[in-house]
Amino acid sequence: MAAYATLIPLFPLLAALLIGGLHFCRIIDGEAGEKTTARLALTAIGLSVLTALGLLIADLSGLLPDSVSYGAWLRSGTLTVDYTLATGGFNLVLASLFSLLLLVAIRFSVNYLHREAGFHRFFFILNLFAAAMLLLVLSGNAVFTFIAWEIAGVCSYWLIAYAYDRPIAAHNATRVFVTNRIGDGGFILAICLALAWLENADWQTINLSAADLEPGDATLLALSFAVAAFAKSAQIPFTPWLARAMEGPTPSSAIFYGGAMIHAGVFLIIQLEPLFMQAPLAMSLLTVIGALTAIYSYWVGLSQTDIKSSQIFATSAQLGLMFAECGLGFWTLAAWHLCAHAVVRCYLLLTAPSILHNTHGQPIQPVAPALANCRWAFIASLQRGWLEPAMDWLLVKPVLRLAKDVRYIDEHIVDKALGAPAPAIRAVSSLAQWEEQKMGANLDSQEDSFAQGSGLAGKLAQWTAALLNWFEYHFILRGIGRDSIRFGRRLGQAANRFEQLLLQPRYLALFVLITLMVALGYR
Amino acid sequence: MSLECLLYWTLTTTMVMLSALLWTPALGAILLVLVSGRNSRLIRIVANLFSLAALLLACLLLVQFDANDTALQFSEFYPLNPKLGSAYALGVDGLSMPMLVLATLLTCISLLASFSLSDSIKGYHISVLLLEFGMLGVFMAQDWALFYIFWEVTLIPLFFLIDRWGGKRRHAASLNFVLYTMGGSVFMLLSLLAISQYDLENQGSLMASMGQAAQNMPEVEQVLVLLGFLIGFGVKMPIFPLHGWLPLAHVEAPSPISILLSGILLKMGAYGLLRCVVMLPVAAKLIQPLLVFLALFGMIYGGLLAWRQRDLKAMVAYSSLSHMGVVLLGIASLNETGFTGAILQMTAHGLIAGALFLLVGLLYERTHTRNIQDYSSLVQVMPRFATLTTLTLLAAMGLPGSVGFIAELHTLIGGFQQWGGLMVFFSLSILISAAYAMRTIGLLFTGPVKPQMRDIADLKSLELMASGVLVGGIVLFGLLPAPLIELSTATVGKMLLVMGERRLP
Repeated sequence: MAAYATLIPLFPLLAALLIGGLHFCRIIDGEAGEKTTARLALTAIGLSVLTALGLLIADLSGLLPDSVSYGAWLRSGTLTVDYTLATGGFNLVLASLFSLLLLVAIRFSVNYLHREAGFHRFFFILNLFAAAMLLLVLSGNAVFTFIAWEIAGVCSYWLIAYAYDRPIAAHNATRVFVTNRIGDGGFILAICLALAWLENADWQTINLSAADLEPGDATLLALSFAVAAFAKSAQIPFTPWLARAMEGPTPSSAIFYGGAMIHAGVFLIIQLEPLFMQAPLAMSLLTVIGALTAIYSYWVGLSQTDIKSSQIFATSAQLGLMFAECGLGFWTLAAWHLCAHAVVRCYLLLTAPSILHNTHGQPIQPVAPALANCRWAFIASLQRGWLEPAMDWLLVKPVLRLAKDVRYIDEHIVDKALGAPAPAIRAVSSLAQWEEQKMGANLDSQEDSFAQGSGLAGKLAQWTAALLNWFEYHFILRGIGRDSIRFGRRLGQAANRFEQLLLQPRYLALFVLITLMVALGYR
Repeated sequence: MSLECLLYWTLTTTMVMLSALLWTPALGAILLVLVSGRNSRLIRIVANLFSLAALLLACLLLVQFDANDTALQFSEFYPLNPKLGSAYALGVDGLSMPMLVLATLLTCISLLASFSLSDSIKGYHISVLLLEFGMLGVFMAQDWALFYIFWEVTLIPLFFLIDRWGGKRRHAASLNFVLYTMGGSVFMLLSLLAISQYDLENQGSLMASMGQAAQNMPEVEQVLVLLGFLIGFGVKMPIFPLHGWLPLAHVEAPSPISILLSGILLKMGAYGLLRCVVMLPVAAKLIQPLLVFLALFGMIYGGLLAWRQRDLKAMVAYSSLSHMGVVLLGIASLNETGFTGAILQMTAHGLIAGALFLLVGLLYERTHTRNIQDYSSLVQVMPRFATLTTLTLLAAMGLPGSVGFIAELHTLIGGFQQWGGLMVFFSLSILISAAYAMRTIGLLFTGPVKPQMRDIADLKSLELMASGVLVGGIVLFGLLPAPLIELSTATVGKMLLVMGERRLP
């Protein structure tokens, strides 16, 4: 029975593939197809909810094992990665909760996105995200959690850049994705460490053998996971990405950053409770970062004027509190906090567009005067603590400068020796440029740039190709090819002539005579 | 129907399964003769029905095929000419099984792609079905005499297909093709006759007994015989200096026929060569340096020439030369990984070249130009075409996740075990193939929108299905290659065992 758990992420995945495939083939398209898409998405997530709730009831009555394994996904040497799902306790609770929230968000989107360009694209991504999120909370193995973690990240990238024709949206999406990749680095490191030290990346194994690890090793493993969690749940110093992520459509913001994905970091920490208990240093780091984020977000939130921004800083503050609770050892409290916050925040973000209507006539409470008069604090709040410029200065700028240096080497040394790929140099980027080329204003016209290389290696390839082409044309196509035809024709003509000769009476008579003589000779 | 009944039915049908598959297209061709030439709808229905029936039979065969069994399966044997010892002997092993499925699949697809053809459909469909008959016969025959007959059978319909429905230079192309192949066949026939001289017990021309007979030959003669085979099969494959017919024939043949030509006809050469190398392992060991030189040189040669072609079809044709070099390299390595790589590459190239010719043909139908530089920014008007073509071109350059990668990796490992550092030339040819594949993607799909490329229709559902099947196969076997590899593992093992035995004095 526990094996049915795999259906929970499978339904939305199938729905996503169906929607994507049908839309690709233009079977569902435009407004006419909206109903089909909505029905597919709602059916899938509805079935997931039912499965999850059914399994949850079974689990609460003690009918389910802790985890169920579906066999090996990868086996190489001593290393095995199994596809296992955790079907007990917190995982199943979260799966039920998240699937319910997803159901609400998807139902909300059906109306909200009506007649929007990209309706089907939105539902494809949302269903894919639903599958990823449900796999993330259910997976019994770090590798599969990571796969789901990444798919969820990519979906978030796609939805932030939902209006991809707006440069700001595209830029913000990229920024969010890249920030999250820092956390992914931590996650990958942690998986590698677990595979190296424990030869297994099952959450159960990691937790059970945490006690056997040396304290230093356990701390390193816990810290790596903590970095992943900090990035995903927007803790300091990664907090600014969350504000940038608000570019997407409201229901996606609600489910990604209010309901489900933003809690993935806290979920990861709670999942690894026994490991963190072995690593006091990591625990104190959780407390410090969590508390800092809570204070920071509260402070910045005070000066936010638009509803989505203030909601989002409240979110990161609450998440900071959850991290602090974990760090102080209140694991159950953190778990309850997570569930409660997911529900409340998802509701608040879904209703964000109509908040003015709902709170009509109720003015916002002003900030306490003691705080309001503190000028430097106000500026710090307005500037969001200069966190983003600081990160830029600390990380982005040095990397950019390094890239510039490397590019210099690339352009002046490597390209000259090996040649650059042609499109990078000669491709026309605008219609005007193309017309200019057509008119002949540009000296190296497109006609000449075909099959031309640049740099030493490129030129070498070009000359060799020209030489081989000459050889092919003169010796193979013309030489053998045409000669074979000519030879064949000549042979045919000769045979024809021979036949004509044979058919003439004198040769026929001669032939008969010879045959007779031969026959006689044999006798 | 009860289970026992079903079992009994299966057992009895396995005896004639191969014949049923072989004669299905021939029967279709005979039926088509009776249909009036003006009734084009009926002709298409009959031809497609029979090719589909052949595909279904091939799939049924695949289901019943036991990949772990090293012996020939579904064997049939009827003596044809007792004096000469030739027989109607059919059989299938792990080498020919994938080729049979590929042949029937590509015939179906090429018939689907021929819907736009309107010129004397009757003859066209009869020729295609006869061509399928010949191809299936080549892959099933277990008797060299029968093999040779089917080998020549493929030639006649193909000659008419190119000569009647081809492009501008079709007469030269068809004549050139026939002369080349006939020239090669003569050497093949000479080699076969030479071997049969040593058939002391006069057991006939069965592949197995000819293999035994070849052991009695002196080494020098073995080498000469293998060289004869190399010329015969090398023309078809094609191997570097014998490929003169290929660019012309591929470019001039109608697109559906190009699919068959590069998808299956080229594989017949590789298939025959592999069987001969197993038959003459001593000679193969002796001419191994020649084989590896021809393979590597052909790969780079084909790649560089493909890079220079402005004509899309010519580019794909030369890339075929480059990719079949991979097969030759796999065969030349004479080890298990290399053989597996060669067989995989045969399937991979069948799918990739088939898909490429299909897509290029569909594009040509819409624009009537094959010059790459005439195109631009097609992704705007035909996104589905762009997706499928990009996937196929990426597979052609051996991108991981496509079946091309699996095949090239196996061949590379096999070659590396045999020659080590020489494989740097292999990498070079992959690099070249990446260069022209990426450039084609760039020129076709990106850049400024040209006015004349504005109103091109995207793929229709039937075309999407035909190309989707091929591209789906490319990606599917790239992600899950295990079933494809397991299909021929046992056979490759047996081949090497036989070669090991024969190499002993």
